[in-house]
Amino acid sequence: MDKALFSYKEMKPVLAGLAILTAIQGAIIIIQAYFLADAISSLFGGDSFANVFKKLVIFFLALVIRQLLTVWKKNIAYHFAAKTGKEFRESLLQKLFQLGPRFVKEEGSGQTVTLVMEGIMKFRRYLELILPKLMNSAMIPAMICIFIFFINIRSAVILALAVPILIAFMILLGLAAKRKADRQYESYQMLSNHFVDSLRGLETLKYLGLSRQHIDQIILVSERYRRATMGTLRIAFLSSFALDFFTMLSIATVAVFLGIDLINGKMELRAALTILILAPEYFLPIREVGADYHATLDGKNAGKRIQEILDKESLQQKQDPIPLWQSTSTFSVKGVSVHFADSDRPALQDIQFFVSGSKKIGIIGASGAGKSTLIDILSGFLAPSSGEFQINGKKLTTLSQLNWQSQITYIPQHPYIFHDTVFNNIRFYHPEATVKEVEKAAERAGLAEMIQSLPNGFETIIGEGDNHRGRGAELKRRTRTTDRPRAGILKQPSYHHAG
Amino acid sequence: MENWIFPYLRQYRGLFALAILLGSLTILFGGALMFTSGYLISKAATQPESILMVYVPIVGVRAFGIARAVLSYVGRLAGHQLVLKILSDMRARLYKIIEPQALFLRSRLRTGDILGALADDIEHLQDFYLKILFPSIVSLAIYTVIIICAGLFSIPFAILLAVFIGLLVFVGPIISYIYMKTKNEQWKRRKHQLYQQFTDTIFGISDWIFSGKYATYIQRYETQEQKLLELETKKHSFVNWRDVLNQIVLGAIVIIAIYWANEQTLRGEFSPTVIAACGLAALSLVESFLPLAGAVSETSSYQDSLKRLEAIQPQSPPLQIEADGRKDSLNLSQVTIEINHLSFGYTSETPLLDDFSLKIGQGEKIAIIGRSGSGKSTLLKLIQGALVPTRGEVLINGMNAHELASAVPKLMAVLNQKPYLFNTSVMNNIRLGNPEATDEEVYEAAKMVQLHEMIMQLPKGYETNMHETGSRFSGGERQRIALARVLLQNTPIVIMDEPTVGLDPITEANLLATIFATLKGKTIIWVTHHLMGVEKMDRILFLENGKITMDGSHQQLLKSEERYRRLYALDRPLYRGEWGNGL
Repeated sequence: MDKALFSYKEMKPVLAGLAILTAIQGAIIIIQAYFLADAISSLFGGDSFANVFKKLVIFFLALVIRQLLTVWKKNIAYHFAAKTGKEFRESLLQKLFQLGPRFVKEEGSGQTVTLVMEGIMKFRRYLELILPKLMNSAMIPAMICIFIFFINIRSAVILALAVPILIAFMILLGLAAKRKADRQYESYQMLSNHFVDSLRGLETLKYLGLSRQHIDQIILVSERYRRATMGTLRIAFLSSFALDFFTMLSIATVAVFLGIDLINGKMELRAALTILILAPEYFLPIREVGADYHATLDGKNAGKRIQEILDKESLQQKQDPIPLWQSTSTFSVKGVSVHFADSDRPALQDIQFFVSGSKKIGIIGASGAGKSTLIDILSGFLAPSSGEFQINGKKLTTLSQLNWQSQITYIPQHPYIFHDTVFNNIRFYHPEATVKEVEKAAERAGLAEMIQSLPNGFETIIGEGDNHRGRGAELKRRTRTTDRPRAGILKQPSYHHAG
Repeated sequence: MENWIFPYLRQYRGLFALAILLGSLTILFGGALMFTSGYLISKAATQPESILMVYVPIVGVRAFGIARAVLSYVGRLAGHQLVLKILSDMRARLYKIIEPQALFLRSRLRTGDILGALADDIEHLQDFYLKILFPSIVSLAIYTVIIICAGLFSIPFAILLAVFIGLLVFVGPIISYIYMKTKNEQWKRRKHQLYQQFTDTIFGISDWIFSGKYATYIQRYETQEQKLLELETKKHSFVNWRDVLNQIVLGAIVIIAIYWANEQTLRGEFSPTVIAACGLAALSLVESFLPLAGAVSETSSYQDSLKRLEAIQPQSPPLQIEADGRKDSLNLSQVTIEINHLSFGYTSETPLLDDFSLKIGQGEKIAIIGRSGSGKSTLLKLIQGALVPTRGEVLINGMNAHELASAVPKLMAVLNQKPYLFNTSVMNNIRLGNPEATDEEVYEAAKMVQLHEMIMQLPKGYETNMHETGSRFSGGERQRIALARVLLQNTPIVIMDEPTVGLDPITEANLLATIFATLKGKTIIWVTHHLMGVEKMDRILFLENGKITMDGSHQQLLKSEERYRRLYALDRPLYRGEWGNGL
């Protein structure tokens, strides 16, 4: 099935535990069926209810034990999934911080958030569902079939033959449905998005004077969407039809042959009834594999995607100690070039420069000249394709060094303000800063007056989606710089600041 | 529920009844299959003279088996057909409700996002029908059938069954629903918090890296995930124990059914062949009730969607007299806007506009400058006739703006902050300005806004889908497409609602140059919050607290107003002269 499954930590003991429980469960299912059949056939033979009551109690206990085993198995899978999910999430978060803003931008910040928050949840759900299912479908039908084989060979053969036929049909029909869906994919996508698209653009339609007549379009497209969907469903449902059809047909066939054997006196009622009760149990695990298909698929894909990210080479390989920047420190960039896969032209070519001590350096260039790339290189968010750096004469291939990054303050065009108090935003880099230090930093940045005018002063919540945003940007731009920076990279902070 | 669920079931009661009937028959036929099989082998065990004695049950077993599969297939299709029809109607209805109030949905979020969420809500309700509503009704139907059938033989037995199956059909689901509702709400709240927090972190990821403290963050994040997990574990074990109890009830019902069948046999009412049949049928039928509790307990997850839809009420649109007769008589070549002593406020105490007067002749170019909340947007809506003045009047060629209704888009076009580009070809997107425009007219408009060459270089030229182009269209280019639309719309008045917000100064300057070049001769009303490009306007108004505080041409204001000089110096892009074309 999914080879990645076996690479997870502690997978083997979990599988072993599940296998043992499933084996016990298989035996219990057979006991349950046997005693129900036994009770019924005894009653049929004229035994009194009081006499068969013991058998019914065993049936009942088997039923309960079977369910308890299911609960136990679900718990094992649940805790394993939760644990694996947590480990996955921790490594993923770690990796995200290592890959940095460049990766987040490529992937899309929304996507990244969804992957961590939803992706892990789906992956967990997948593990939780798939493990017991795999075990059940691998063991229970086989156990039941072998048991039946010893009672009545013909029934066992019918059941054993039904499965490959059933699977073959499901695959064929599944493929047909997929082909049809693929063929229609584009128009399907267009139709299904049409309504959302119309509502999102309603304001524009209104201004264009088209909004009222657009209702006809919506009804038309909705109806076309319905017809297209029904066309696909007609084929998609065929595979579960095949599953139902062959299951029912096999059970019916088994029942008929059992009847014939009984008439001919070749077997007794108890055995026949046991087989008849076991027949649906035989198909149950196979039918369950197909259930929750989407949840399973989503989770599997999410797991794959997360693994891909975890396998990405991160920039921070080995950490060299980098001393604090001083007036005698030197930094040089030698022959640094950057090539991106999607472009023939190098983004940066053979960059050289040398800096010593505390300097103020401006980097000027038109858009597309490579300024942002250079900043990402200097911030350690990107490794150069070739070239090297030297800090105090010590060679480094990338600047993805924690010691280096903690000495940098980066003030971008659009600085990000966290949804938190002004106070916490100012001391973001130094959470241990005292009230005095924060006040002093604010004063040096010329913000004291502005902060005083805020409703709650330093305790005012600022950040995404609130109306102090413009001021917040100003606040951050000014404050964090004075917050003991060692080296600063300024990226057009005063470029377009209007309002 | 009353508004968004039941009316549709009434409307499609035929199809609805069919879906429920087929769903019920599917399960009953499953029971009948097991019943006949049990009967068949019991009968066979009596070793009748010939196989013909069991011929009827043999046929029955096959017929029920095949019919069950067919019924299940047809039933699922009928259910989906019904739901898709309902969704179709819901979409049309939602659109009809929202369309008249499109310009008034005010919120901190962008209007488009809210409306998009509503569309998703409708899609979401699809699952409510298919996974909760239909199975519940089918279960009720089967419950009724079983009780009635049992009642035909023995009333006490029917009552006993009603109580025991009732545990599965009513008690279990109701308790589950109540328990899950609170747990789900708690979970959703915490998850939402975590979502916001984590989004914040991802947006500020560079800062976290520079701070070197992300390990602490990961720890903090994990603590919160741990709390969520605890909640989930509680839910998980609740579901587990519910399932165990369900199975106990199932076992009890099977034993009761066997006991009863045996009693009947002893009394000579049934032949002993029926005992096996009853036991097996009970097992198969009762199993169909087991998923019900799980489904019903998820109802609460659809309530948010329903609530949002219910909250959208048809608003009585501002008094609109269809001026269809008069709109033909409108002179589109000479349109004068006259605003006389206009006051407007959503509440009576704080008017957004206070005794505001202004006259705009055809071809005049006016900039209205003000902070956000100064009433700029409200003024634009009043001019567009979307709002009715509290006092005073807005006259367009002597007619009240709000009475012009559907004639307004013929009079004025709008360029706003985020023009929406639809998920269709570039060609169709531009042509929206005038659906009757020929291809040549579209090309002409694209040439005027200087996009023609860029579009021709796209993989499929004008037929390229807007969304496939991804980020190929920058903010400035998107505005140019909107401008091309406006050109095709060819109205005497163009309203500009901060179309250059978020663009860099060079793009902004270029876009403004194109706008002013292509809109020659048209009246322009331009709302903006800074002074870039205002020198090209005939008249500049400063709007503060609903009143005009400065008024005049650029030259006049520069001469007479110290404050204007200061503001202009502040906003003037310092390097434009030297950098504009050099880089």
